[in-house]
Amino acid sequence: MARTLNGPEVTPDQSMTVTRRTFIHKSLITAGITAGATTYGWLPLINTIDLAFGQTAFKFAWLSDTHLYPKDVNTRFVEKAVRAVKEIQAMNPPADFLIFGGDLAQLGDPVELDLGADILKEVKIRKVFIPGEHDWYLDMGAKWERLFGKQPWTFDHKGVRFVGLDTVSRGPDYWTAKKMTPKERMGHMATLDGSVAGAWAGVGRDQMQWLQTTLGSWQKNRPVVIFTHNPLYEYYPPWNFWVRDWREVHEVLKGYTSVTNIHGHTHQVLYNEIGTMRSIGMLATSWPWPYAPEGVPALTKCHLRADPGDHYDGVGWSQLTQSAAGKIEAEYVMWRKKEHLIGEAAVDSGCGDNVNQPLSPRLVDREWTYPGGHK
Amino acid sequence: MTIARVALAVVLVLAVAVLVAPPGLDRAFAHKEKHTPEQLKAFEDIFIEQVKLGDLLFHGDGATEKKMGAQLSKTGMACAMCHPFSSDTHPHEFPKFQEQMNKFATLRDMINWCIEKPNEGIKLAEDSDAMKALEAYIIWSNRGAKLDPGRH
Repeated sequence: MARTLNGPEVTPDQSMTVTRRTFIHKSLITAGITAGATTYGWLPLINTIDLAFGQTAFKFAWLSDTHLYPKDVNTRFVEKAVRAVKEIQAMNPPADFLIFGGDLAQLGDPVELDLGADILKEVKIRKVFIPGEHDWYLDMGAKWERLFGKQPWTFDHKGVRFVGLDTVSRGPDYWTAKKMTPKERMGHMATLDGSVAGAWAGVGRDQMQWLQTTLGSWQKNRPVVIFTHNPLYEYYPPWNFWVRDWREVHEVLKGYTSVTNIHGHTHQVLYNEIGTMRSIGMLATSWPWPYAPEGVPALTKCHLRADPGDHYDGVGWSQLTQSAAGKIEAEYVMWRKKEHLIGEAAVDSGCGDNVNQPLSPRLVDREWTYPGGHK
Repeated sequence: MTIARVALAVVLVLAVAVLVAPPGLDRAFAHKEKHTPEQLKAFEDIFIEQVKLGDLLFHGDGATEKKMGAQLSKTGMACAMCHPFSSDTHPHEFPKFQEQMNKFATLRDMINWCIEKPNEGIKLAEDSDAMKALEAYIIWSNRGAKLDPGRH
């Protein structure tokens, strides 16, 4: 499918250029500095991907994957979410809006979602939201929708059509037949490498129809930005680093020459082009996932291996800036890399070990008595 | 005299063999006879049982931790949150110099470092059942990887 979509003449809008540069983000120098600063360097470095589209200068910010536990369980995730929110609010000039890309909570607990809503109140600019699976499967999105409204949505802003999709709520029912409690259902969903919840990530036929209608009124050469929690291509299905119906999505997008998909869930630096769509993976504030053992897009330059001893390493948020010259820069604000964001040599690269890493799905998922019920 | 000494030695060896034999077995020898399928299944079951226990520990299952007397995390973090499918644990690269510990380390050293530092849990005794189960799960998950000891 990718080969078909990526025919010899087919790429995203040719006016786009991809460059990578790093520079010191001065506004962060005065931000909260914690232990490990002197060892690992505290000047965050930003990787920049320049995209060209749109007509007027503006910025927006992306924040996702905060995975908040209640405060008494884990304060680190709270600290990092608070730091990101303060930095987003301090952006100068301010961002036009913040997109929150899902997984605000870890176990969908109302306490966690309320905590997240409280933290996000610090951001006074416009906020738009899409859910992650961790926000949804305790009460099937009831609390989420009360706090943050419904998805999908769309709005036009300074020459760009923005779309927010829900890629998490249409998972197949794995809980009814097994008589799971809501907590058990959430527990399986919250286990990235579990197989009980299956291929839950998807756009769904109804939302696909909505997308087709929504884009129908938009000229095909004008820019479209689609926010999703999961990537709109197949990277690594066992961890739902995809949407299962990505092929159909690309059928809907066919003909639109400037589509940018910005997604969370993967907690890592990612870049891919499929057909006329480019896709950029954003960082989490909570923790970095390792690169999958296979399927990392050839166009991705993997970030430097994260330091497991420093919970500010390998994580952060992102700001996207459109310049007056019509360039948009998608900048990773990774908090703790001293000089290099990208690991060029295999020994330094987050995906450098993939060549010698055959992995196996969990055995315990094959048993009727699931984790937690082990005798 | 010499014959008597040899006879005594043989008696002693046999006595020791009987003493160290596991309960239920009448000797501590291996590979004296062909294995039956049932025996091989029993050997594998013992291993897979440990893999499953290690899997549950690795994924933060509280009941298994309690049962095995372990507390691997106080932050809500489980091993699998940074290592889904046990990725990036690299059991095939140990022993090696481990940068964050600044020492030549074994996989068990690394498991304990992760428990103590990122997870803020309580270190395991190196020969504890929980440690062996974690090791079994990590190595089983990475089976087929080429041995590459010492690689950073």
